[in-house]
Amino acid sequence: MLKKHPLLGFIFFGLILFLASNRVDELRVFQGATVAVYVIAIASIILLTGYSGQVSLGHGALLAIGGYAAALSRNHWGVPVWLAFCIAVLAAALGGYLLGLAAARLSGPYLAGTTLALAIGLPSIANQFSILGGEQGLAFDIGLPPATLGADFTQYKWFFWIACLAALISIYWLRNVMNSRYGRSWKAVRSNDVAAELAGINVGRNKVLAFTVSAGLAGLAGALLAMTISTVSPGAFPLTLSFSLATGAVLSGVTTLGGVMIGAVTLVAIPEIVDSVVSRFQSSDVVANNLPGLVVSALLILTVLFVPNGPVEQMRARREKRAKS
Amino acid sequence: MIRTNRQKLALTSALLAVAALTASSLPAQAASDPGVTATSIKLGITVPMTGIASPGYNKIPGAMKAYFDYVNDNGGVNGRKITLVIKDDQYIPSTAVAKANELILKDKVFALVGTLGTASTKAISASTQLAKRGIPSLFVNTGFSGFADAKAYPTTFSILPSYQMEAKIMGKFLAEKYADKKLALIYQDDDFGRDALAGFKQAGITFGTYIPYASGSQSLPATGAGWISKLKASGAEVTVLFGVSSASTAALANAYAAQYKTQWVLGSVGGDATTIAATNKAYVPLLYGAKGFSFAPAPTDATDEYIKLFQSIYATAQPTQTFDNNVVAGMSNAFLAVQALKAAGSDLTRAGLIKTIETKGASFANPFLTPLGYSATAHVGATGYWIGTYDPTGALKPDGGKYTVYTTDSGNGPVVESSYKRPAMPAKGLPN
Amino acid sequence: MIQFINMLLIGIGAGSIYALMAIAMVLVWRSTRVINFAQAAMALLSTYIGFELVQKTGNFWVALPLAMVLGALFSALIEIIFIRTLIKHSTSGPVAGIVPIIATLGLLGFIRATIGFIWGNQNVQIPAPLSKIGFTVGGETIALSPMNLLVLLTVIGMVVVLGYIFQKTNLGLSLRASAYAPEIAQLAGIRVGAIRTIGWAIAGAAGAAAGLLQTVNGTGALSPDSLEFSLLLTFGFIAAVIGGLESLPGAVLGALVLGLVLAVVQIYISGTLVFIVAFVLLLVVLLIRPQGFIGAKAGRRA
Repeated sequence: MLKKHPLLGFIFFGLILFLASNRVDELRVFQGATVAVYVIAIASIILLTGYSGQVSLGHGALLAIGGYAAALSRNHWGVPVWLAFCIAVLAAALGGYLLGLAAARLSGPYLAGTTLALAIGLPSIANQFSILGGEQGLAFDIGLPPATLGADFTQYKWFFWIACLAALISIYWLRNVMNSRYGRSWKAVRSNDVAAELAGINVGRNKVLAFTVSAGLAGLAGALLAMTISTVSPGAFPLTLSFSLATGAVLSGVTTLGGVMIGAVTLVAIPEIVDSVVSRFQSSDVVANNLPGLVVSALLILTVLFVPNGPVEQMRARREKRAKS
Repeated sequence: MIRTNRQKLALTSALLAVAALTASSLPAQAASDPGVTATSIKLGITVPMTGIASPGYNKIPGAMKAYFDYVNDNGGVNGRKITLVIKDDQYIPSTAVAKANELILKDKVFALVGTLGTASTKAISASTQLAKRGIPSLFVNTGFSGFADAKAYPTTFSILPSYQMEAKIMGKFLAEKYADKKLALIYQDDDFGRDALAGFKQAGITFGTYIPYASGSQSLPATGAGWISKLKASGAEVTVLFGVSSASTAALANAYAAQYKTQWVLGSVGGDATTIAATNKAYVPLLYGAKGFSFAPAPTDATDEYIKLFQSIYATAQPTQTFDNNVVAGMSNAFLAVQALKAAGSDLTRAGLIKTIETKGASFANPFLTPLGYSATAHVGATGYWIGTYDPTGALKPDGGKYTVYTTDSGNGPVVESSYKRPAMPAKGLPN
Repeated sequence: MIQFINMLLIGIGAGSIYALMAIAMVLVWRSTRVINFAQAAMALLSTYIGFELVQKTGNFWVALPLAMVLGALFSALIEIIFIRTLIKHSTSGPVAGIVPIIATLGLLGFIRATIGFIWGNQNVQIPAPLSKIGFTVGGETIALSPMNLLVLLTVIGMVVVLGYIFQKTNLGLSLRASAYAPEIAQLAGIRVGAIRTIGWAIAGAAGAAAGLLQTVNGTGALSPDSLEFSLLLTFGFIAAVIGGLESLPGAVLGALVLGLVLAVVQIYISGTLVFIVAFVLLLVVLLIRPQGFIGAKAGRRA
């Protein structure tokens, strides 16, 4: 049944999340919202890199565009929240379109380097225009949950609902896009762009489209991120965010959407787990400061070395191998 | 077939996630404020311990803990021992929010103390709804004047004077001492520097040369040299630097390389001789003759009773680390926190603590040489600065031989010479 | 007039620092075809080793070559243990693009944390071997010091030596062949694995020199999270791209161009535009002439 109606699957999942949010404590709810944000952001990278074969090391900049667009539109024009998110998507998509136009002519390290430079240059740009609030940033307040949900309904639960709804809609939509002819043409270009061109696919336009869609998703993630921290500032979208997203995509398996939750959960869970393990030991300052970084990096290296295609692909490959033998 | 696998995986992850979430749900909270028991108080701090902004600041929690341990060894606060939970936020607001949530929701701290960074403090305050939950955020480590507004941040208390205050006092000093000299200003091009510009404007000071720099660019090879080149061309006789210490280092080192002489006036953030010494010992003599601003006694002032006490406590707790302004900042912060907790009494509640600081905070014993401004409407900490000159060893010596403090506000108020006499340190440095 | 001359000297001085990094990056790229954050990590580690050597021997001129040798060894070790496993386990396709980047990122984090463990998170200091005071010409102190001169000479020396190795020796030919077309090189009898290790070793030595020189030319301060290092890597990369990732002289030229442009912007326009200008310059070069000023046209297809 689920095979025929994936939409039901998503709705079912949504219901589970709704039930879960009532049972767990605030911290998990907040982390759940963060996971949802990462799911969208990582999905955008999977689309761009896994499906369209373009590497971006500066996706944080696109998230920032979305975040700032949402905050500005809400603060200056007082738009309702859902509209602010739409504006974020459009603004980031526009940015992605422009970046894509430039990127279509670049490959490999040049593209990676350009996106990297963009991510680094972004805080500077934010400081130039005082409307962007400078280093302190802008407030982004989506308001209190509607009174109909009851006085007990916390702010974080509201964030969680909004983020999860956005994530479910985005992933469902993206999944459909990837299974459509656009997705197939992206995959074709990724495998062999010369052959794809010969088959009639406009490679340049194809790549730009991938960038645009990916950027739109990133913008949504950025706006949701701003929602969870109730502010938007250059420091909230640092280079390490871009790296984390790329890492999450690799951990999920960059070529497939199926494992996107793995990467997102890992990004949120690992630092906390490592932190609590480290604090269990009464250790010196030096150890306490550096052990989390050490463990996280080591885990990342091991995962990337031994499961480079991601767990989903690994399982599939193993199943195929078994089926063949 | 692929679709089935994908669905299966999605479903499995969903169930796993739910199982994990439900398994970690905790029982309902106790009736009294979290983080307080009959024998303990738990405080939490988010600060960059690693990452780009961390050198220097990452000494603050260790310094605070050193003082808290000293207090614990001497009976604690009203019989309660203080634990400090330290979280590394790498100066990233979203990490700061996540860590603050861990502190509040998982570690269940009684209060946050010493949160560092304007953007992070803002994010934490808004996202974790400190005001709504009534969680105190004591003595935040930022010079942003907005946190002193009790209406906007009812549970947050500043401790540092704001950047506007410093700029206004600096402006008055410049107007009095260097009225007929050519002035130049090097400043960081973000809120930090722009607050200063506002303060200078208020003091009626205009500079002949303005040299803004993009935050971070001070560490590039050409930047400092470029500043000196511009200063040379402008013939500035007095150069004010309102930036971070890596900017001061770049300026001083390049001035030395170019053999350029000017009267340096360094803001308090950038004028920390010991941070400069930590960058390169060879730069400390370059500070000689520069003017510096501070509101606490100089870390090198061994005649000051607070400094003496802090030095001895820190030497035992962290023998391998140098005693510098960051340590003084951390230990002063901890001192004030202990003072506030003590004054709040044995029946310790969050609301009670906030009320105590608002009503009695202005008269708390503390190491600072300026009066504290805590009230029900303004959560202002230190309110002024004294001016000194650096000697060849990098020690900041007050002009005129004694600490002459000037105070002002973050608004339009005048700069006045303060007659504040710092109350004597309580016995053994333990607030009572 | 004097300000103009100083501006040129400042730009060239900064450019030579970027050039050190750019050379190391081009080396890694040409011999391994990987964008390598591990290079940054190894340069940092080698610099710390250099710091230890300066402390132990008290002599910078002994420490520098020793650090380069150790940097080369360590770099080769990383290649053998880490990179070979990486290549063995990852398939081709889009994964091959991003997985090495992430893996080397992980390595960077690992080495940073290890450095923090061993040396702590505060600054350590390396005293400069030469004076940083500018030479005096006609009563004016110009923006060129013995230290600046050392960096410049090192850059020139590196370009000459490495250029010779790459263009005129069999080793260089093998290096280039192994990077550009490994399967064909293997068919031609070149031991690609060993050659690649040598390539990394050379890059490691260059990185060690770059890290040490750039530290002593700057503030002399070193920490695992040093902002200076991160910035210099980025700008070194931008310089390398401007000059064309394929060519060493190109990297140096790109670095000098970058240094001069930024000096002009900082001195004559406004210091707030530094990062924006660097990014715009990068973008402009990539859009108009992606192979860089000196690179060959074929170099674009990675």
